[in-house]
Amino acid sequence: MEAIKKIFILLGSLDRRIIFLIVGLSVLIPLLKPDWVNLPIRPTPESQIVFDEINKLKEGDKILLSFEYGPSTKPEIHPMAIAILKHLYAKNIQVYGFALWPDGNFMSTEAFSEVSDDYDKIYGIDYVNLGYKPGQEAVIKGIASDIRTLYTVDLQGTPINDIPMMKDVINIEDFDFVFSLSAGFPGTKEWVQYACDPKNIPLSTGCTSIQVTDIMPYVENNQIRGILAGMPGAAEYESLVERELRKMGKPGKPGEASGMMAAQSIAHVVIVLFIIFGNISYYITRKKIRKG
Amino acid sequence: MNNKVIMWSVLFLILLGLYIMGEGMIFIEGARVKFAAILIVSITIYYYIDRARSGEEIYLRTIPGLKALEEAVGRATEMGKSVLFVPGISDLDQVETITGLNILGHVAEHTAKYEASLNVPVSKSIVMEAGRDICREAYLKAGRPDLYSDDMVHYLTDDQFAYAAGVNGIMIREKPAACFYLGKFYAESLILAETGNSIGAIQIAGTGSMAQIPFFVTACDYTLIGEEFFTASAYLSKKPELLGSIKGQDIVKLLVMATMVLTVVLNGLFQAGWISFDIIKLFIEY
Amino acid sequence: MLLKRQIPLMIVIGIGLLTLFGNFINNEAIRGFVDNDATQWFDIIASFAIFLGALNMLKLQLIKIIKKQKNWQYSILAVAGFAFAIFAGFFYRGANFITISGVQEGKIAIVSEIIAEEVDDTNPYDIETKIMSSQDEYEIDKLFMTEGNAKLFMKKLTPHAEGVSLKAKPWGAHVQTKGSLFYWMFINMITPLSATMFALLAFFVASASYRAFRIRNFEATLLLVAGIILMLGRVPIGNLIPWWAVSIMIMFGIGAIAAPFIKERTILLGIVGGGIFIFIVSGTLMGWNQTPPALLSIPIIQDWIFAFPAMAGSRALMIGIALGIVATSFRIIIGLDKSVLGG
Repeated sequence: MEAIKKIFILLGSLDRRIIFLIVGLSVLIPLLKPDWVNLPIRPTPESQIVFDEINKLKEGDKILLSFEYGPSTKPEIHPMAIAILKHLYAKNIQVYGFALWPDGNFMSTEAFSEVSDDYDKIYGIDYVNLGYKPGQEAVIKGIASDIRTLYTVDLQGTPINDIPMMKDVINIEDFDFVFSLSAGFPGTKEWVQYACDPKNIPLSTGCTSIQVTDIMPYVENNQIRGILAGMPGAAEYESLVERELRKMGKPGKPGEASGMMAAQSIAHVVIVLFIIFGNISYYITRKKIRKG
Repeated sequence: MNNKVIMWSVLFLILLGLYIMGEGMIFIEGARVKFAAILIVSITIYYYIDRARSGEEIYLRTIPGLKALEEAVGRATEMGKSVLFVPGISDLDQVETITGLNILGHVAEHTAKYEASLNVPVSKSIVMEAGRDICREAYLKAGRPDLYSDDMVHYLTDDQFAYAAGVNGIMIREKPAACFYLGKFYAESLILAETGNSIGAIQIAGTGSMAQIPFFVTACDYTLIGEEFFTASAYLSKKPELLGSIKGQDIVKLLVMATMVLTVVLNGLFQAGWISFDIIKLFIEY
Repeated sequence: MLLKRQIPLMIVIGIGLLTLFGNFINNEAIRGFVDNDATQWFDIIASFAIFLGALNMLKLQLIKIIKKQKNWQYSILAVAGFAFAIFAGFFYRGANFITISGVQEGKIAIVSEIIAEEVDDTNPYDIETKIMSSQDEYEIDKLFMTEGNAKLFMKKLTPHAEGVSLKAKPWGAHVQTKGSLFYWMFINMITPLSATMFALLAFFVASASYRAFRIRNFEATLLLVAGIILMLGRVPIGNLIPWWAVSIMIMFGIGAIAAPFIKERTILLGIVGGGIFIFIVSGTLMGWNQTPPALLSIPIIQDWIFAFPAMAGSRALMIGIALGIVATSFRIIIGLDKSVLGG
């Protein structure tokens, strides 16, 4: 019994670096050996709502896809962007890319180039990338009133009047859906406040896990239709899209987020175990102090 | 009833009446409730500012984080180390940044008084200029303009994590004894707070970013939560008008709570069919 | 004094009141200013102000290098990084591309194969189709960072096509075109560095949780229990935790909350142990092995915590913060709080 108590006291006073090492290994090993841990992914009601809303869209509908994330949050949100694009392309929905962050340009370019060729999508006819404009909320307000006051050319410098799919698009009311891939400000909340809620355009979002508590009130009020919460949300959406693509008989590659869920799960379990050990050690130490 | 209350109530009714009369012509339609809300909030806050100016004693509870400000600077002086102040990563268009800079003024006065060195790395150029003005005035007010240097407030980078890396580097190299995180933060908050914790600094944080408050609470010695952060500047200045505005803000919160309870009750009665007045419609249509 | 204090104050009050009440005024010009121009003015000022910050940063780093102050070597990296970014953004486009036209009928297949090899495409037939369907000229889907490399490739195509021209992406577009020098720098330097800093959060969360989640009092215990449930419920592993494990956790949680009130440890142990025993036996008899109740599923408990207590708390904080912002803005707009102007 004394030996066990000593072990727990030792665990309670562990050097931070050992904790970091164990957490690092618990993330690294499942990433290097994904076949060792195979966890079933259960879509949450919020992710299912996002999937159903996008599934309701018909061929030829227009969706505004806004990229508000950068390299630091790319592991969480980029898999969502890829899964959403696969879903949209499979349903032949026209995709209009915008960005409220400068880094969003790079993320959108990468996402479009990763997916468009697999679905034989042609730039200017099936998708267009208008890119970033400085101004934060003013950009959203501009898109809500008249896109051409803000954008005269697309990301590559092509005049937007020369782009076939921009012909009938004047402002946000010409879109059937808005999807915001958001990692902070400006992002989903601003889309709700300045465009989608005033103009009654359905909006959905994929955001980092930390933002979920900020955005949930809007989801509960139905101002935002469902939410993809962080990497688990991305993995859930990937599993839903894969299932749908198989139903449609279209090819599908497994998504990145699903593969990373094992690493995240194990890391969470390790942190929980450390918390439990820490508390047991704290309890034993306190008891010893009281006795002594 | 207080004459001033009657006067302000009459003013409110006149202004609202003018708005309703001018709807469609001078004023937009469908925004009566919003306009009335702005009037009520403004009049309530101004009423209490007025009362404070007239000499009324305003009681404010102790906010430990703000009390500890001077202690933290004193600790840094005793240890012969610097004070680090991080005003967040947003620009001057955010109220949190302005609030953070206001508190910087008070911290700078203390560092001038105690002759402690102050380091303020910033993420935005305009914040750098505003921060320099505020520090210069604070050192002048404390009677120590000779101790002030423009390089105290310096620009690092706009990029979020590059800024976090830069501040972390400053913390690990210079080992400040006191770290203040007061402004708008995002994901870098825990990186800064944990690094500050690892160097043994006393840490005081305050932010309006809801998602970052738990991280600061976990890693910092004192955290200003929610409105405590926004009242800091008024609290520290001890000016009667500013203290009065804090009381006004609290009364507005009371009014909001009362409205919420009333709305729940009335909506419940409407849903049960006991009354025909739909309070939700009032908020949506007007 | 007038220039430093009174005039800025009048500008603050004027613009503040205009922006606030401009939302209610039925006038195109005012609404346009409030909705668009006001924020754009700020962005323009902020954009010019970047020069101040950049020059300040350069000045401090250069002084460190020249005077060989402590850790001056890191400043070399800072200045070099700055210079490289300026070079890649403003002086060197590195976004050259090749267009071909007038490819002879019998040579399209050869040209497609040459291009496919260069762009690492395993299907030259796609490229052949695109060349045949292009009306004026076909733009090869690859950017060359240097003109030298582009010209080397052009030499391979020149025998088979009449028009082979070297062009460059326009200034501005070169920054976000895949394959350009700036894009290469962003993907290979900035992205890994940013991702690394963000990844540090995982380690810091572990050490912060380890230090902070202690059963010190009722509130800390509640935080601990909610934190564990949320951490396990958010990931797929939460679905694998069986109902009896959750029952044990619930009983331990009840024990932890009741511990400060029950002094006799044997009674506490009895309650917790007995509770676990009753839970497991009754659960087995009620067939929970096949259909466990929703209350004993970590993901469902997690969903509930998110949807109700967490939501209520975050809404309350949100309202408080919003009121704080309103009051602070009011003080600034009416000119009561002059500290931001340095006074």
